[in-house]
Formats: sequence, structure tokens, C-alpha cells
Amino acid sequence: MSGRGGYLLRKVGWALLTVLVVITFNFVLFRVLPGDPAKSGLRDPRLNPAAVEALRERFGTDKPVFVDLEADNPFDSQFTAYLGALSRADLGTSYAFRDQPVSDLIGQALVNTLWLVLPSQLLAIILGSVLGLFAAWRRGRALDVGALTFSLFMWSLPTFFLGIILLVAGAQWFGLPTAGRVTIGANYADVWEAALDIGSHLILPTLTLTLVLLGEYMLIMRSSVLDVFGEDYILTARAKGLSTYRIIRHHALRNAMLPMVTLIALNLGFTVSGAIQVEAVYSWPGLGALTVSAVADRDYPVLQGAFLLIALSVVVANLVAELIYGWLDPRVSEG
Amino acid sequence: MTAVLEATTSTTVEAPRRAWRSFLRHRMGVIGAAMLGIALLVAAFAPLIAPYDPYASVRVNIGDIYQAPSAAHVLGTDDGGKDVLSSLLYGARVSLVVGFSAAAIALVIGGLVGIVAGYRGGWVGSLLMRITDFFLVIPDLALQIVLVAIIGPSLGTIIFVIGALGWTTTARLVRSQTLSVRERKFVMRARAIGAGDAHILRRHILPAVLPLMLANMVLVISLAILSESTLAFLGLGDPTVISWGQMLNFAFDRGAVSAGAWWALLPPGFAIVWVVLATTLLGTALEDALNPRLKRHHLEAPGSDVARDRTVPALVPPLAEAEAPILRVRDLSIEFDVGGRSLRAVDRVSFDLRRGETLGLVGESGCGKTTTVLGILRLLPPGGRVVGGSVLFDGEDLLSLDGRALRSFRWTRLSLVFQGAMNALNPVRTIGDQIQEAIRLHAPGTSKADAARRAGELLERVGIGRRRANEYPHTYSGGMRQRAMIALALACDPDVIVADEPTTALDVMIQAQILELLGGIAHDFGMGIILVTHDLGVVAQVCDRVVVMYGGVVAEENDAATLFASPQHPYTQQLLQSFPDLAHPDRPLRGIPGSPPRLDAMPSGCRFAPRCPHVFDRCVNEPPLYPAAGGRASCFLLDPAERRP
Repeated sequence: MSGRGGYLLRKVGWALLTVLVVITFNFVLFRVLPGDPAKSGLRDPRLNPAAVEALRERFGTDKPVFVDLEADNPFDSQFTAYLGALSRADLGTSYAFRDQPVSDLIGQALVNTLWLVLPSQLLAIILGSVLGLFAAWRRGRALDVGALTFSLFMWSLPTFFLGIILLVAGAQWFGLPTAGRVTIGANYADVWEAALDIGSHLILPTLTLTLVLLGEYMLIMRSSVLDVFGEDYILTARAKGLSTYRIIRHHALRNAMLPMVTLIALNLGFTVSGAIQVEAVYSWPGLGALTVSAVADRDYPVLQGAFLLIALSVVVANLVAELIYGWLDPRVSEG
Repeated sequence: MTAVLEATTSTTVEAPRRAWRSFLRHRMGVIGAAMLGIALLVAAFAPLIAPYDPYASVRVNIGDIYQAPSAAHVLGTDDGGKDVLSSLLYGARVSLVVGFSAAAIALVIGGLVGIVAGYRGGWVGSLLMRITDFFLVIPDLALQIVLVAIIGPSLGTIIFVIGALGWTTTARLVRSQTLSVRERKFVMRARAIGAGDAHILRRHILPAVLPLMLANMVLVISLAILSESTLAFLGLGDPTVISWGQMLNFAFDRGAVSAGAWWALLPPGFAIVWVVLATTLLGTALEDALNPRLKRHHLEAPGSDVARDRTVPALVPPLAEAEAPILRVRDLSIEFDVGGRSLRAVDRVSFDLRRGETLGLVGESGCGKTTTVLGILRLLPPGGRVVGGSVLFDGEDLLSLDGRALRSFRWTRLSLVFQGAMNALNPVRTIGDQIQEAIRLHAPGTSKADAARRAGELLERVGIGRRRANEYPHTYSGGMRQRAMIALALACDPDVIVADEPTTALDVMIQAQILELLGGIAHDFGMGIILVTHDLGVVAQVCDRVVVMYGGVVAEENDAATLFASPQHPYTQQLLQSFPDLAHPDRPLRGIPGSPPRLDAMPSGCRFAPRCPHVFDRCVNEPPLYPAAGGRASCFLLDPAERRP
């Protein structure tokens, strides 16, 4: 395959394959390990007999795990039952939150997580790119050394610890809210008041996540820009009589953004890890906090669903980054 | 050009930077190692230095909880009334044990996967890399949480889970290193003489891969320590041991913030920072030392690329001429700062270029040809500067132009064709766009349409055709990129074009076409051309005059016909003998033994003396400098005062 269409097809195909593998992995992981929602549910004292029977039915625990070639219908198995349920967006019922479908729980949590992650990601990418660019341009100068030191320190600082420090400082000196998404029991007079309340709850978690991501993106941008500055076409641009500003704007920036896009995609796991920790510290009701509380509650259906959603979001975000790359770089038809 | 620049920069420009940076890194590595050493000592001797035993069970009194630091409890007490300092010291054990063990597991898995994928290649290799890619996509922490939650939070589980998920970067690193070693000559040779896989792996691959793996392991340790403390903070630590993450978990969950008990929060947090910082510093220093990444930087603000404060005796007396040449280079000297020393890369080079003339600048790689040209163009890499001489272009001294004047001079009067046009053209902009940019930059009133039309004409002129103006460089062949580069050089109708090795890396047919094109352009547009090359065949084909450079000085200068007919300098003679001569096809070819002198080991006498077949005493003691030595070459053989048999 060649050309942009081919590139697109390849990337989408790879993403679909990854999704399949993730789904299978998610099934096997919870089926072979002691945390099987089917088995644990059958024993969970919190569920009534009717619910247990529904579980047995849903998971098909009397059926083979993958295939049974001896049986009349070899594909009538636990795995196909799981796939069938997934296709109906049925992820089971939470143990801890009685009668709540897992899909509702994690759907709401995903929305909350995106409220936190998207602004942080955007801020960190913009600030990181600008600072990384300046650090590379002034390699070895004060700004560069400062940027490197900051990145190194941010890297060594566990996200949850940074969260704690900012939480204490923010609450102490600025009186900012430190837990949850809204003030509990608040009655808002109008929409603006509600927005203000949610916004003030967002400040500290967003700040923490932005700082953590910023160090990483700054380093990536710096080394990416340094690579580009060493290229011969930059020398050509100088010889042509372009000013340094024009060289950076018209010749260096776009080329430097290419590896940035790839590396941001590769770093999504890092973003997820940061978000989980920030949510835990600030009790932000997102996917990360839900995962952690599901662990504490031994709420395996929620754990399984949340993990699946996290993994799938990363695959999708990765695909988006690949497509942006294809749009930015005319050479993709080569590779 | 890249090759030549590399040859000069690797020994000259980057060296001081490299020395300084490796010193810095070395210092950072030393600090990291010392910090890690302290942590290891604390972990080993925790029972001896800790004032209390944090594992001893004591009855908790309400008054003992969150006591502020005092003489009895230097760092106060925690939520269980225990001594924070003692827990902190014991906590080092868990962090380091988990860090080292998990990293060891990751190293074994990653090393095996990387070596097999790199060495075997084929479908096994690509399958392994696909699996690695898959694990790179799955978010580590989420999977760690799930696995530890399901299996149960014991220290062993935590180590296993962190190790089993932390091998992907190691695998990628080891694979690329294995691949590069596998393709090297000595491994190919070993395989050719029948060495088995086991032998090659043990003797060649492992020694090359292991050091990098160890450096990488130190970084994996820092990641593992971070992961362990994160899991513990999230409540997934081993409940039977005391770790820093767990201390933070308990303190944070049990009211340390509202109690204002900073002593229960800050010490464990900064203890984690301490060991992660230590391992990161050490690991980064090790990786850099093993795998230094040097980078050129074409935009570094130069301190000053011209500093003509030296009192170097001029070799050429000022002379008045009726018709001034378009370019007159006089006693141009260029130095590079290397490790605190200034090394002279170009020494008092002089030549003239008349309008419409094609001048060849010839010599082996590393003779200062490209440096001379970059000095004239004021494009020297950082660390290099012109220390003497003058460059008069149409009567104006280029070396005294300021930034703005220099920018408007560039490309309108003098433009460049670089070697290897692939990298000299921006890969993400179309060819036409790059030509139009130059046109509109120097003639700001030009409309887009006019600029596009002119770019199309230029592409027609170089034989590409205007239809391909909207294509990107990677769709062009090597010869076409060189043509496009020439079209770009013509964009602002300059008086002089400098072509630096324009035909290197092209096949012979294409070479001939490019040269013909350059010759035709010089003729049609009446442009002067400076052709930098190591290829005498190219020079013979198109040049009117030739300047031969050796070791940063002019060895010989003459018009092309005379130079080829009767070369004066032994270097020129030998250079000619090393190229095939169509007029005498039966003449045996002879290479010149040895290589040009390095900048930091320049002979004090004649620079060619070590390789010269006619060398005598005077050559070793005193430098013959053109044209002071008389004649058209810098050689004492030509000195009438020298009576040689």
C-alpha cells in the first residue's frame, strides 16, 4: 500500500487489531486470575440469589472458555458471551454500587477524567513546546539549564507527592477547594455560579497534572528542536538570508513538531498514570479514582470495565496522534 | 558538505562543548552515585541508626499521634504514634529492594526480547516487536493496579508486576544496539569464517550490548521505585512492610493534612525524590558516557564569527588592478576553539574570482575547503571565527557587514548549492514553495503569482519542469534534488554561486548532467562559480582556474590548463596521478599514502612534508607560504634560492 490512503488504512487497521487484543487480554486477565468477576460474583455475599443466577447466565460459567470443538455449537463460549455483552455496551453490574450498570459508572467517570486531562494536556503541550523551543535555541544558557533542572526535578517528584504539596499550599494560602468536582450540597443561583464552583475545584488538579506533563514535553520538544537545528536545510535557510525568527517559524517548527506528536502519543500511558494519581489525591471522581476505589471494594466488574476503557482510550488517542502525524508529514507515503 | 563539516566539527567545534558537557555529566553522575550510596548505606544499617524499631508493636496513646518534632522524635510521630525518622530509615530498604529486583527482572526479559528480536530478525523479531508495541500502548500504572489488586499485594507480587511490565524500553534499546552490531564488519567476518551463533552472541553481541543495558537498568530502577511508591500510596503496598509510599498513604488518608503534620508528609516524599533523583542522574550520566549524542546547531547565536584582532603578517601585498574581481579573498584565516585552544583551520588563504569565471577549490577531505567557503559566507559553525584577512565582494568587505546588511546580501549576490541536496531542502515544504520563499523575501513587492511563475521558469531552466513545483523533495530523485537546489540558488539572480561538492553521491551520468547544467548557467547568466570538490575530473571538465588547498593553506593556484599540464606542487602532482587521465589511459594510478594532517597536530614546517617524496630539511623547519615563497605554489622546490640537485 502506498500514499496517504494506505497510511490511514494501515494505522486504522493496526488500531483495530490492538483493540481486539486489548479486549481479549481484558477477558483472559480477569478469567484466569483470582479476580474473575464471574466466580467472585457467585460468592459475593453482597449479591442476592437472583443476581447470582443472572450472573451465571450472563457469564455462561458452565460453558467452555474459548471454543469447544466437540460441542454442537463450538463458538457458544464464555468468550463469545463476553463479546456479545460488550457489543451491547453491557459491562455488568457493580457490586459496591448496587444495581448500577458498570457502563453508566465508567461513562460518567470518563467524562470527569476528560475534564481534567484535556485542559492539562493542552496547557502542557503548548507551554512545553514553547519552553522546549527556547531552551534548544539557547542551548547551554541560563534558560536551558533552568528548563533541564526543572524537568529533572519534576521527573523525580512522584505525581501524588506533588499533588499533596500543591493541595496543602493551595488550601492554606489561596483557600482553594481540594476535594471533589463540586462543593457538596451547594445550591447554585445560576449557571455562572456553578461554573465558578467547578472551575475552582479544577484549578489544583489541573495545575498538578500540567506541571507533571510539562517537564516531560519540554524535554521532548527540546531534543526534537535540537535535532532539527542540526539539519542542513536550516543552514540553507540561513544562507538564503532568512532571519532567525523566520527560520524557526517557517522551517524548524513544523519539522520539530513531528517527533513531538509521536512522542506525545507514546507518552499517553504517562498521562494516564498522572491522572490516576491526581484523581486519587483530589478525590476527583474520574476513571482513576474509580479504579482505585474498585480495588479497595473488590468491585471486579468495575475494575475490569474501567481498565478496558482506559486501555481503549489510549489506543484511540494514539490513533488520533498517528493521523495528525500523517497530515503534518508529506513523507508518510514512503513509510 | 555534511561529511566535511563532520570531519572538522567532530575534532574542532564540538570538542570543547563535549569536554565541558561530559565533565558536567560526569559531575552529575558522581553526585547521583554518592546520593545512591548514602541511600544504600542507610538501608543496610537501618537497624543500627534508627532510634526506634518501627516493626515493634506498641500501644497507641491518643497523645502520641502526630507529635511535632522534638528531641525524642527528631521528625515527630505519625498517625500510629510511631517515630517518623525510624520508619523513614527502614523504608529505604523496601524502595531499594523493589527497585533493584524489579529492574533485574525487567532487564532479563527486555534483554532477551531485544537480543532475539535484533539478532534473529524475521517473523520472530517482528512478532516480538509487535508485542513490545502492544505493551507500550497499555498504560503501565493501570495494569499494575489491576494485577496487584487481583494477585494480592505482597512484596513479591509487586516486584514481579513492576518487573514484568517495565521491560519494553530496555527491549527496544537492546534490539537497536544488537541490530547495529550484527551489521558491523567484524561480526560479518566472524560469520563468514563459520563462527556459530553462540560464539557471535557471547563474543560480539553481549559485550556491545551489556554496558548500555546496565546504564538503562539504573534508569529502570528509578522507574520501579516510583511505581512502587505510587502503588503503595494508592493502598496497594504490602501491608506487612513499611515503605515511603505507604507512610504517605497513611498520613494523607488519616488526617495529617488537617493536623498540619508536615513532618509525616514531607520526609517520606523527599526520600523518594532523593533515590529517584540519584538513580536518574547516575543512569543519564552512564548512558551519555556510553552513547554520546553530539548535535550540530545551525542557529546557535554566535558570539562573533569575525574577530580580526590578530596581527598576522599578510602574505599578499595590496595591489591595484584595473578591473576588480567580483570576489577577492585576501589572507583569510579561520580558527576553531578546541578545548581552550584556538586551532587554525584556514591559514591566510587568498584568491580572486572574476565575473563569469568558474573557479575550482580542490583538495582531499579535511583540507579546509568547506571551512574557507563557510567563512566567506559568514556561516561558520559556532566556535569557529575569522581571525584575519578580508573578503571583498564587488569592493565591499563582507566581514564587516552587520546582521541586516548580511541577510539582504545573502542569496541576492551570492548563493549556495549544498552537497547532498536531500538534507539541504526542507522535507515538509514543496520545492516551489522553497524557491518562492527566497524570491519574495528579497523582493518583497513580488506577488504570489509572479513568484510562482518565476519558480516555474527556474525549474524549467534546470530541466525539471514547472509541473513538479508543487511536489515535496522526497518525490524527487537524487539528481533532480540537486537540480532543484540549483534552481533555488538561481532564484534571486546572484552574481556568484558557491557549489559545495554538488556531484558527490550521484552516479556518473547524472554528475555529468549536473556539471553541464552548472557550466551552461555560468555561461548564460554570466555568473561566477566556485566549485568545491575533491574530484579533479570534475575540475578538468568545467573550471577556468584552480586553487589547490592542503592542510588549510593554498598549495597551488593556476589556470586550469596550465595546472593540469605542469603541476608545480608535489601534492598537486600526486593528486593528478591518483586520477585517471583520458589522454594517457595506460598511466598507472597511484594514491597518496597517508592522510591530511589533523588540526591539532599541524606540522610546523610544510604541511605536506610528512607525505612528500621530495622532502628536505628546510621543509620540516619552516613553512613555505604561497605566494610569499615565489612561484605559483607553496613549495621550497620552486624557490630559486634553493639549490637542489
